[in-house]
Amino acid sequence: MADFLTSTHRAKWIFSPQQLDEKYRAANQRAKQVLEKCGATLMEVDVDGSLSYLEPQMTAKDGAEKHSRTKPLSIEEEQCIRVFYENKLQEVCNNFRFPHKIQATALIYFKRFYLQWSVMEHQPKHIMLTCIYAACKIEENHVSAEELGKGISQDHQMILNNEMISLEFDLIVYAPYRSVEGFINDMEEFCNAGDDQLQMLKTLQNTARSEVDKMMLTDAPLLFPPGQLALAALHKSNALHKVIDFDSYLESMFSRQNSMHTISELSESLHGIDSLELWFSSVLHGPLCVRKYKVPSDKELKHINRKLKSCWGHSSHDEGKKREKKSKHKSKKSSNEAQNMSSLL
Amino acid sequence: MGDGGGSNRSNSNKPEWLQQYDLIGKIGEGTYGLVFLARIKSSTNRGKSIAIKKFKQSKDGDGVSPTAIREIMLLREITHENVVKLVNVHINHVDMSLYLAFDYAEHDLYEIIRHHRDKVNQSINQYTVKSLLWQLLNGLNYLHSNWIIHRDLKPSNILVMGEGEEHGVVKIADFGLARIYQAPLKPLSDNGVVVTIWYRAPELLLGAKHYTSAVDMWAVGCIFAELLTLKPLFQGAEVKATPNPFQLDQLDKIFKVLGHPTLEKWPSLANLPHWQQDTQHIQAHKYDNTSLYSVVHLSPKSPAFDLLSKMLEYDPRKRITAAQALEHEYFKIEPVPGRNAFVPCQPGETFVNYPTRPVDTTTDFEGTTNMQSSQPVSSGAAVSGSMPGGHVSNRSVPRPMNVGSMQRIPHQAMQAYNLTSQAGMGGGMNPGGIPMQRGVPQQQLRRKDQMGMPGYPPPQKSRRI
Repeated sequence: MADFLTSTHRAKWIFSPQQLDEKYRAANQRAKQVLEKCGATLMEVDVDGSLSYLEPQMTAKDGAEKHSRTKPLSIEEEQCIRVFYENKLQEVCNNFRFPHKIQATALIYFKRFYLQWSVMEHQPKHIMLTCIYAACKIEENHVSAEELGKGISQDHQMILNNEMISLEFDLIVYAPYRSVEGFINDMEEFCNAGDDQLQMLKTLQNTARSEVDKMMLTDAPLLFPPGQLALAALHKSNALHKVIDFDSYLESMFSRQNSMHTISELSESLHGIDSLELWFSSVLHGPLCVRKYKVPSDKELKHINRKLKSCWGHSSHDEGKKREKKSKHKSKKSSNEAQNMSSLL
Repeated sequence: MGDGGGSNRSNSNKPEWLQQYDLIGKIGEGTYGLVFLARIKSSTNRGKSIAIKKFKQSKDGDGVSPTAIREIMLLREITHENVVKLVNVHINHVDMSLYLAFDYAEHDLYEIIRHHRDKVNQSINQYTVKSLLWQLLNGLNYLHSNWIIHRDLKPSNILVMGEGEEHGVVKIADFGLARIYQAPLKPLSDNGVVVTIWYRAPELLLGAKHYTSAVDMWAVGCIFAELLTLKPLFQGAEVKATPNPFQLDQLDKIFKVLGHPTLEKWPSLANLPHWQQDTQHIQAHKYDNTSLYSVVHLSPKSPAFDLLSKMLEYDPRKRITAAQALEHEYFKIEPVPGRNAFVPCQPGETFVNYPTRPVDTTTDFEGTTNMQSSQPVSSGAAVSGSMPGGHVSNRSVPRPMNVGSMQRIPHQAMQAYNLTSQAGMGGGMNPGGIPMQRGVPQQQLRRKDQMGMPGYPPPQKSRRI
């Protein structure tokens, strides 16, 4: 793929933790203000082509009542919702048996989108599906919106309506999976691997890949370049399997620095950090980034979701009707999943 | 890219993104949509020309066309002197149309070749040919080293800058078929037919499932020959059928000049579907002794001929790469290539002034998509032009594109957008500075101040001195 060093991914989409916090706060703040002003936060595409907030149809009195009732989501609650839909996104991709690359691309789109917007402004279910659809197109693995919509009992028109929005952000993204592969190849050479060792490196790779899967559900892809995430994943995997002497591998890599830009980036971010060990642990667990998101209980999630719906200005009456309609179109193949989804949508 | 949202801040009827330009008129048309010429109004770049490519809304009901997506995703990532520069992306949510704004290039190889063949009746001078070819290879080497195959190189997609700071600089354009070929999820052949037939490499014609950047080098060879002779090298007749029919005539034209390919010279030939199945008895065709050098009027011992024949090597694995070609002796002997392909460094050399593109000032941004009669839009007077569009892809040869298209139910985007909603909230709606534009209904694109004014200058045929 095009060179990461000169990519928009590197130039525009890697942030410091402070920058991320700032962005999440700004989006949340804006939605809160809109909620106070308009009583609902959901954005729609206007007839004139601009995006605007949807004013709920109601009388002044109703409005006043509603305003006092509707509470905005907190930043933490927004995060819970995002994490929930990122998990959903992985599920949907797995059910369609899409390649990992597509799943990773879609996840990164989803994260980028909600850096700019609050979940109170754009429904994450729609954005999630749009991100998957766009990722399929970008990776030249075209799936029609209709097919995608059918597979999960959702109206595919919504996907198409939102697709343009996905063009707002840069479309070529780099996930750590390929970097893991690259490091494994390099390690094969480094330890001049025989058959036994090749087998162990395979194990190392597989565990590292599932580590990357976990990272993809955190802020990590917005905080570190993919090469560094791959290295951290391999480090953790190696702590488990003890396949290679990681320190001497890194040393050898640093000595070849010129040839591998991932490493020069790594040493940049190592600047000011006392030890490599500390860096790895901070990538994986620590204050530096991959803040372990709290997984909310079902009950908590339902509560947040109710709040979210009232922010959108959806009355429970409308929802009931919608669900009824939806269930009629439910396809057999994925009815389980649809139930899963609609239980929370 | 982009200059922020908040399209409703102004009182004018024109969407904000359009207000930064003076629309001059239409300069081209292709399967994807229309191309317009516009000039920047802002003081920093006043008068700078911009080509705006408008993509039609997709008809197959499957959203933004893959062609537009490829252009946007790839061109945002790459920067090179010999690759066209995407300066802005504008989105109109109402009719799902997309506008891509590029730096404008006044010329293209198709028009340059045509001018020499039909107007001045003389060959292109050697300095110009060599400079154009070198710059084309330079841009292509950049693309290939970034794992991008263009897949639609042909003279009309190779632009050359007009007068100004970049005069005579080559720009590779039209990335609608381009793709990254590193670690593809599916075989590249799944994209359907690629490359306009006259420039299509033999491995593609023989049905290869996988192919490489070598397909671009074959096209460069064909373009090189065309620059020398002013005639397409392999002018086969296309079989029109779907999907991807066997193109016997095109192969026949190639074999006549280059001879029959042999398994000895091209071992993987045996695995190519059409060869293997001996489609239309292709294996048995007999060809006389071949003579590429006589077709292109080159001495078989000249460096130019050596380079050309290496580009037209049958076996894609043996075909010269862009990087290797740049190092070829041809570029080291006099005249050496230069940055301005039109104006040789040596004084005393004559050079040709190429005509500018014709501009259809009667078509506005609504173009053919609007049923109402179109209004003149341009401020007109300043415009002189005389050539059909340069970012246009289907001209002499129809562009055989069936990439990623699928049968889909009709598109109902318009209904979906007829939502009741309040007016936009103006500035501050895009705090993240998301690079995008939002349009307004089409009727508003028309410039009211120009309506009803008679007597717009027709497209002029003028030549610059």
